[in-house]
Amino acid sequence: MDRREFLQQFSMVSAGAIMAAPIFNIIPPVLAKIVQPNLSVGIDKDYKTLVKKTLAPLGGMDAFVKKGDRVVVKPNIGWDRTPEQAANTHPQVVKAIVELALTSGASKVQVFDRTCNSDRLCYTNSGIQNALASINDSRVVCEFIDKRKFIPVAIKKGKSLNEWSFYKDALAADCYINVPVAKHHRLAGLTLGLKNVMGIIGGERGRLHTNIGQYLADLCTVIKPDLTVIDATRILLNNGPQGGNLSDVKTIHTLIATTDVVAADAYATTLFGKKPEDISSTKAAYAMSLGEMQLNQMNIIKA
Amino acid sequence: MNISRWFKTIHIRRISQICFLFLFLFLFRKTDYPGREIIGYPVNLFFCWNPFIALSVMLITQTLMIIFIPVLFVIGLTLIFGRVFCSWICPMGCLLDIFQRLLSAKPEKKVAFPEINNHIMIVSLIAALFGLQLAGYVDPFAILFRGLAFVIDPVLNISVTGFFDYLYLNGPEWFSAVSEPVYQFLKKTLLPYQRTIFVSTGISFVILFSVFLLEMIERRFWCKKMCPLGALLSFISRFSMFRRFPKKLCTTCESCEPHCRMGAFGDQGHHFDSQCSRCLECYQICPQDRVKFTFKLFHKKGMSLNISRRHFVGSTIFGAALPFINAVDAQHKIPHPYLLRPPGALKEKQFQDVCIRCGECMKVCITNALQPTLFETGWTGLFSPRLIPRLGYCEFNCNLCGQVCPTGAIQRLSRDQKHHTVIGKAVFDKNRCLPYAKHTPCIVCEEHCPVYNKAIQYETVFVKDKNGQNIEIKQPYVVEDRCIGCGICENKCPLPGESAIRVRRERLGSHLNY
Repeated sequence: MDRREFLQQFSMVSAGAIMAAPIFNIIPPVLAKIVQPNLSVGIDKDYKTLVKKTLAPLGGMDAFVKKGDRVVVKPNIGWDRTPEQAANTHPQVVKAIVELALTSGASKVQVFDRTCNSDRLCYTNSGIQNALASINDSRVVCEFIDKRKFIPVAIKKGKSLNEWSFYKDALAADCYINVPVAKHHRLAGLTLGLKNVMGIIGGERGRLHTNIGQYLADLCTVIKPDLTVIDATRILLNNGPQGGNLSDVKTIHTLIATTDVVAADAYATTLFGKKPEDISSTKAAYAMSLGEMQLNQMNIIKA
Repeated sequence: MNISRWFKTIHIRRISQICFLFLFLFLFRKTDYPGREIIGYPVNLFFCWNPFIALSVMLITQTLMIIFIPVLFVIGLTLIFGRVFCSWICPMGCLLDIFQRLLSAKPEKKVAFPEINNHIMIVSLIAALFGLQLAGYVDPFAILFRGLAFVIDPVLNISVTGFFDYLYLNGPEWFSAVSEPVYQFLKKTLLPYQRTIFVSTGISFVILFSVFLLEMIERRFWCKKMCPLGALLSFISRFSMFRRFPKKLCTTCESCEPHCRMGAFGDQGHHFDSQCSRCLECYQICPQDRVKFTFKLFHKKGMSLNISRRHFVGSTIFGAALPFINAVDAQHKIPHPYLLRPPGALKEKQFQDVCIRCGECMKVCITNALQPTLFETGWTGLFSPRLIPRLGYCEFNCNLCGQVCPTGAIQRLSRDQKHHTVIGKAVFDKNRCLPYAKHTPCIVCEEHCPVYNKAIQYETVFVKDKNGQNIEIKQPYVVEDRCIGCGICENKCPLPGESAIRVRRERLGSHLNY
């Protein structure tokens, strides 16, 4: 995404230079040819070590966060569920990523998600709000979604969507880190990196379920994460995306990190014994050259 | 004027009034999700120590209830000091006093409107004895709380947030840099967390506003002539020890008489201790220093209820008749099919008996799902809570309404109990549901169903799409045994207008056991 252009447009609007209801044009630099992505997979019981270890082959957090950057970490905090129930990103994983971003010199790290259940219940019971508060650093901001910050964006490359509203802070970030949790989802098959975009869009999200694969791919033409870290420390195998039963949860202490969100999703399907092409959003995004789907075309590094 | 005396009387009372008003408002603000499971404040205190509410609920259930133990404090206070509650504690009284000061034209004359507070009290207590709960419609705290929760608070919130939102969305960016920190500060301190909306806010507003309007006719009109709580306290205060002396207006002076907010002086200048709220204003202004308030342990003659025998009998008969008038209301035979009660609510008849319509549950509801009922369950169901899923659903892990209910009409549920508490059953409308009616994928309801093993399942079928192609589609259905009726499916259904899945009341049929 061209952040500079977005900020320019945005300041024009807020200065009153454009009077009409604004629609922002953000065209991310979609690669003509997919470069073979590096994909790092780590396993460790200590999640702080796990995050560090998994990011190391990609150049560590320093490769993504520069000094003074405004970073957005987008976990899944969608549900009023506890960490053991595996419906949200693990709080220790989020905390470790935020801490690394701070160490790399981030000037501000924002963590947010547009929740499905009541936001306060989700932030509290997911453990993420407390985990972030325990860092005790004023640069870390864990805020609820502010409805005023959704702004309409034209989806120029979209096949079935041409406009949707996005969260301003996510668009304006210097570094956008996508931290979904890998879990079962009846309609989408699995919910992974691409589906995590649901938490930064406005509007009536239920509408997107009529053609979820293509819609998600379209949305991801607007915002492409600089880094995707899929939390598979424990995965929800059934009754997703909320789960609840601990018997549906499998603990595998795994983390997948890559710059290519499609590749991350494709690899994560293997943890569930599925194939990348089983997930409609992965297939649609690959067809639009948003990322790599073929496992043999990735450079998979076991960290 | 002696300064120490000036300070001792009127100011101490005003400080007390303001403190209790702030306590009331503080508890009102704390009637919200606290960021953890238990609220931890006695947010319903003003209902729990309210002898009128307590008596009314205990008469209708004919049980002693531990939750009303704080009542003993108010009764004890009244037995010793008389009706001090009205002038020292009552937040409604405090607000009325403030409103009175704001009025430009002070009411001068006494009006001939009869005192009907005893009538109101007797009618509602006798009605309670015979099985009809009316306390919430006439209790001052219920009126005040509902007015605050349904109207005043949401209106204040929407006007403040609306102002700042407008600045943020339409003002220049540099201005937001100034206004936003102020806004965030207000949000953290004074403003409620979320914008709330309620059904027919106008009714609650008119009721509360009328109480204030009465103040233009006569000072403390409501307290003197209508408040049933005041009537009950005045009855309890008949043995009070702290009383005024002299017992009559001094014929030479009478200067305290117009200052008496409670109109405690009768036609012959006799001072009625049961009317007197011990505001001590007469003590303060007495030019002769003659007025004293002293303790005396026993009084030869207790004060009687200020109502004639004829009126007493009339009120009793009227109060006893009301439950029967309610019982023959046909509305009870045809219960509203979509009227859902909060989780943990007692059975319908019992619920309507015990619920005092205070509005606490509707204030605390985290999704703004609980709404005041109008006449869907007959005229006696007014202001009782109902869950309207299209406005908000019942959060799976939330039990706040049971925590704040002052009477146990909504039982306090543990998290585990809550997960299994059924408030209704979801039913699909296949004529509108997308996978059935339009062969379009959806199952948003299934995604949101919070039951661990999903009360909404689906069947994978092959249908033709609009181009005549065979496609695979997931058609949802409800597993009735698992459904708890939380209504999140109805809430999140992406269809515009009415949802294609609706939660129906589970226990249909007549709920009156006469």
